[in-house]
Amino acid sequence: MLVRGRKFSIGQILLVILLFALTMTMLIPLLNILAKSLSSPAGSMEMSGLDIIPHDLDFTNYRIVFSHPILVPALINSVIITVVGTAINMILTVTAAYVLTRPRLALKRPIMVFLIIMMLFDPGTVPEYLVVQNLGLMGSKWSVILVTAVNVYYLIIMMRYFESVPKSIVEAAEIDGAGHLKSMTSVYIPLAKSGIATITMFYAVVRWNEYFKASIYLTEKSTDTVLQVVLRQFVVLGDVVSILGQQNVFDYNTLARVDYAALKGATIVVAIVPILILYPFVLKFYTKDVMGGGIKE
Amino acid sequence: MKRKGDSTDIQTGTASQMRRAPLWKRVWNEKVLYLILLPTMLYFIFFKVLPIINMRLAFYSFNARGPWRFSGLHYFEMIFSSPAFFNILKNTLIISFMKYILLFPFFLIFAIMLTQVRSWGFRKYVQVISYLPHFLSWVVIAGIWIDALSIQGGVNELLGLFGIEAHDFMTDRSVIRWILMICEGWRSIGWDSIIYYTAIISISPSLFEAADMDGANTFQKIWHVVLPALITPAVTMFILNLGFFLSAGFDQVLNFSNTAVESTIDILDTYIYRIGIQGGQYSLATAVSLIKGVVGMILVLATHLVSKRLTGEGVW
Repeated sequence: MLVRGRKFSIGQILLVILLFALTMTMLIPLLNILAKSLSSPAGSMEMSGLDIIPHDLDFTNYRIVFSHPILVPALINSVIITVVGTAINMILTVTAAYVLTRPRLALKRPIMVFLIIMMLFDPGTVPEYLVVQNLGLMGSKWSVILVTAVNVYYLIIMMRYFESVPKSIVEAAEIDGAGHLKSMTSVYIPLAKSGIATITMFYAVVRWNEYFKASIYLTEKSTDTVLQVVLRQFVVLGDVVSILGQQNVFDYNTLARVDYAALKGATIVVAIVPILILYPFVLKFYTKDVMGGGIKE
Repeated sequence: MKRKGDSTDIQTGTASQMRRAPLWKRVWNEKVLYLILLPTMLYFIFFKVLPIINMRLAFYSFNARGPWRFSGLHYFEMIFSSPAFFNILKNTLIISFMKYILLFPFFLIFAIMLTQVRSWGFRKYVQVISYLPHFLSWVVIAGIWIDALSIQGGVNELLGLFGIEAHDFMTDRSVIRWILMICEGWRSIGWDSIIYYTAIISISPSLFEAADMDGANTFQKIWHVVLPALITPAVTMFILNLGFFLSAGFDQVLNFSNTAVESTIDILDTYIYRIGIQGGQYSLATAVSLIKGVVGMILVLATHLVSKRLTGEGVW
């Protein structure tokens, strides 16, 4: 192997310290935000940017977030778009990958060239915006769901998974008289299930994190929008009124003395939690295949 | 994609019979497959091909109610005679250079460092933590970084321990591009290094044993054994990155921007968004998109072909 020698050489220790410091730049900011969001307003105000233990445990910030007239509908919209959107992503990606991995498919080459051009060439924001407008999808969740219905890159990865299904099993199914639908559902999908799980996770993460398309297509009512858009309004643009509401700014300031930094932290945590729930599955499926050398990017 | 000659379709007798049949007949025989593919193709036609057809707007004046009026190269003349455009182009190229070229070696170094760690448990820990930022949205990342880089944030806190005075990084025009680059590295270093990490761990152990016999030290092994194995994935990633060169990471820039630094990090995509969607100048924005799309496509194809000729390595 590449590394020989003792486990506790100077080089090893330096290496571990450096890599550990790198991971700390990723962990500490997240834990700090979590700790602040779980502290009482008075407690979080005296916390530094490096503290990772909550001062005076309290759920005020989450109470505000989960009773918010815009944040709550946005959260529900995000869940709907993620679930329905990912389902559509997968139906289209799996069926297309199945068709495009059939041996001897007459039009395979022109179709692949077409798909790769579609992947490389970005028509831009305005031409797509006009299409969404002409189709009458403005303000509808379908706009965001449909404009990103297939990702060519993920489709190609899915094809690699299908290509690795052993030919002998497929032929056995064909001899048994299995049609395309049968062969897809009872041979390919079960045998490529780690691939399907991986691509599902990827799509779901992208769906959940989507904000730009939502910010231009879902603008008609303030309750149409998704969590990431509200989060940006509040966390990035620092718009306090939008998060608390005109009336509540005065109420909270006089009554509870909200710490805005901690409240921002709570909304960030709400946006991260679903990702953290999916994350172990992403690692389990994707890294296993990548490490095993099954799929090359 | 497969090259001509090595595809599976010439391997069996039935296949060569199929080959002789006219194309329309072969397609007709596979009609069920094309029917299954239809929904996906409809998606591309509606949401990719129609927008591409809409790009002709770059040569027309937009009219919401009636037909568009032909305006020739008017919008391109407008773009190329505006100093603002060249400033934006310069910003885009500088930011892309920093993200895709200056940052590039760090991903390789990280992968090499990780493979040098002896403890598998620690390797696993570094991987689990370092992949995570890749899955966070840019809105969340911007929220975290804006907070950490503020006057009272963690970074200033840390610098304070070394007696360095607190600094408002996010509104400092001289450092904001470096922040974009470092943040991009922070987000991608784990995930984008996977491809190099796997390339290194799949090197045959006999190569290292041979190097050991020759008395090579760790750095010689990295130079003579590890780096050659990284050329293929590095070339592939480099070509793919070139496709993003004129984009420079729109989501990141939009979320890291503020009025104090806007002029230094305004890029083509933020410009398109501002004049097109926010400003309603559809034709002008489309003309910029068209330039960006065509140049981006040429960049990728040209590098792919050049690289294929020189090293035999391409993206497909």
